[in-house]
Amino acid sequence: MKMRNLMTLALAAYMTGTIGAWAAEDGQSFEKIERGRYLAVLGDCVSCHTAPGGKPFAGGAALETPFGALIGPNITPDVATGVGAWSEEDFRRAMHEGIGRGGARLYPAMPYPAYTKVTRDDVSAIWAYLRSLDPVRNEVQPNQLRFPFNVRRPATSTWDLINFQPGVFQPNPSKSDVWNRGAYLVEGLGHCGTCHTPKNITGGDRGSEALQGALLQDWYAPDLTEDPRTGIGSWSIEEIVRYLKTGANSYDIASGPMAEAVSNSTSKMTDADLLAIATYLKDRAPRSGRAVTALAAANPRMVAGQAIYEDRCAACHSRSGAGVPNLFPRLASAPLIQSVDPTSLIRAVLIGSRAVATSAAPTAPAMPAFGWNLNDTEVADVLTYVRNTWGNAASAVQPEDVSKLRERLSSR
Amino acid sequence: MIINKLQLNSPDDVGSGMPRPPQARPGIRRRELMLTTATTLLFSTHAVLARVVQDSLPWEQNAGSPPTEATPGPWTYFTAEEGATVEALVDRLIPPDPQTPGGKDAGCAVFIDRQLAGPYGTAEELYMRGPFADGTPQQGNQSPLTPAVRYREALAALDKYCRATYAGRSFTQIPDNDKDKLLSGLEKGQVHLEGTSGRAFFELLLQNTQEGFFADPVYGGNRNMVGWKMIGYPGARYDYRDWVDRHNERYPLPPVGITGRPEWVRKAQ
Repeated sequence: MKMRNLMTLALAAYMTGTIGAWAAEDGQSFEKIERGRYLAVLGDCVSCHTAPGGKPFAGGAALETPFGALIGPNITPDVATGVGAWSEEDFRRAMHEGIGRGGARLYPAMPYPAYTKVTRDDVSAIWAYLRSLDPVRNEVQPNQLRFPFNVRRPATSTWDLINFQPGVFQPNPSKSDVWNRGAYLVEGLGHCGTCHTPKNITGGDRGSEALQGALLQDWYAPDLTEDPRTGIGSWSIEEIVRYLKTGANSYDIASGPMAEAVSNSTSKMTDADLLAIATYLKDRAPRSGRAVTALAAANPRMVAGQAIYEDRCAACHSRSGAGVPNLFPRLASAPLIQSVDPTSLIRAVLIGSRAVATSAAPTAPAMPAFGWNLNDTEVADVLTYVRNTWGNAASAVQPEDVSKLRERLSSR
Repeated sequence: MIINKLQLNSPDDVGSGMPRPPQARPGIRRRELMLTTATTLLFSTHAVLARVVQDSLPWEQNAGSPPTEATPGPWTYFTAEEGATVEALVDRLIPPDPQTPGGKDAGCAVFIDRQLAGPYGTAEELYMRGPFADGTPQQGNQSPLTPAVRYREALAALDKYCRATYAGRSFTQIPDNDKDKLLSGLEKGQVHLEGTSGRAFFELLLQNTQEGFFADPVYGGNRNMVGWKMIGYPGARYDYRDWVDRHNERYPLPPVGITGRPEWVRKAQ
């Protein structure tokens, strides 16, 4: 070996040693930061803490709640406008207890009721990752709630007493490691229940109805229980994994807020984690919904609905409701179509809908708007037909509901 | 050199919708083309805005540019007399028969009226400046008259012709037999209208009547989709994949227009 090479090698060894020692001291090893980066993907932090077109984690877009708007704050390490002045313990309290630096209660739009389940170790890794980001100076006013909800929350909150059970995830020893990993992700970082669990009057989770489907921001986050009609009872573990990884499976294509979740989070999860999530979801009890009988085909709204379906929908979704895999969602035996709440369906017909694009399914097919073409009764009838044909059974859609949603969507 | 072979105004261009210069030239030289391109780029009044598209194609919710529905009611361009004359004219071009209503009841005159009142009537989207020369048939209409003006002039001249020829009666008052003879004379160029081309008017009227009979009902003609029912056209449908392989079978669905069909409306129970 030549002298120069030897010297280079020695220098490299010396530097590695130095960096290694420094990193260990600071808790900023590459492995830990990288693990934190992946955990932040699992938690989909970027969705709420990034504005459209803005710098990642430097503050987000408004999240509309029934109590007013909340904006995800800047969580880059900028001292003045971000979390640069926070300690790791400040961050842990925010994640586990919903208490920000200085003792202010966070609003539960920050899903701390779910993040409380994240292990200390994982919280520490996420913190290491956030510390490694470039500080971005961006002032965000997170609290844009209406009075009286905008009044700063006291440290002891009635809301938390009713709705918040702090505590790290406890594995179920009678279940497999895969199942427990899935439960940890779904209930913790994945915070699936934030959208998919029905809320009580204060906006807290109705714990007994976990993941049974809920309405938010004029989208209906569908039932994720084993219910064969409205839930994922008919989806295999592979179908669930494919949906989360690519945004599409043989039943459905993700759109709306789920498109964001797929794009920012689930499509970037490891196959092992997706398998764990699917394993856990498939092992849960179906929602105890009462049996629903399909409307008779001769019902006048079904007859009208069929005519509209043939003329406006069948070209893509096909007369048999089978759709085209990865392109046009299947309507027959599709859980979302038979949802208790038809809001997402009305919305898609009125203003159209865009599916998610992932590297595995980059097409991002879109449904055009029909709001200009179909009146409220026609939208209601075509959806009633779709919800009660090809083996589907669900409540009829009312023209008044279409009318209300049309008004809300046009005022936005 | 490919560019040297580039031919403008070849008969194949007809109907392509591109504006064409009035004079046909056998070819275009490369230098000319480059000069033209450079001039266009330099003096283009519209800013050319390029847009970078990444990942997937842009999409907007609630997109769509629906057509404006022709409003029912009185004439918007024609006078009452003109309207009555056009109704009589279209009813001779497409006379009613036991199966299908004629041009008048199908709404052809209403269609023409609404078109003449809009951008079609004012030739808004056509090049309407000189030079005006007699072109070849392939070059289409080279007249300085907009369709709306052509109708106005020709209808006045037709009225004058009728009253002079048929003892003071207007076109609406003469027997069908005479109407047909007159139309035939216009078509063949044997009947001359004062101050305007009877033949050019006939051609325009015939074309507009056909358009009114077969265009989507949203534009005021083809009332109740009678034109489509007559020829078995299923209307504004998007896709026929389910029927591609089903030969010698009648397509089962009735025609549908842009605004739907009667079956879309719930029947009372």
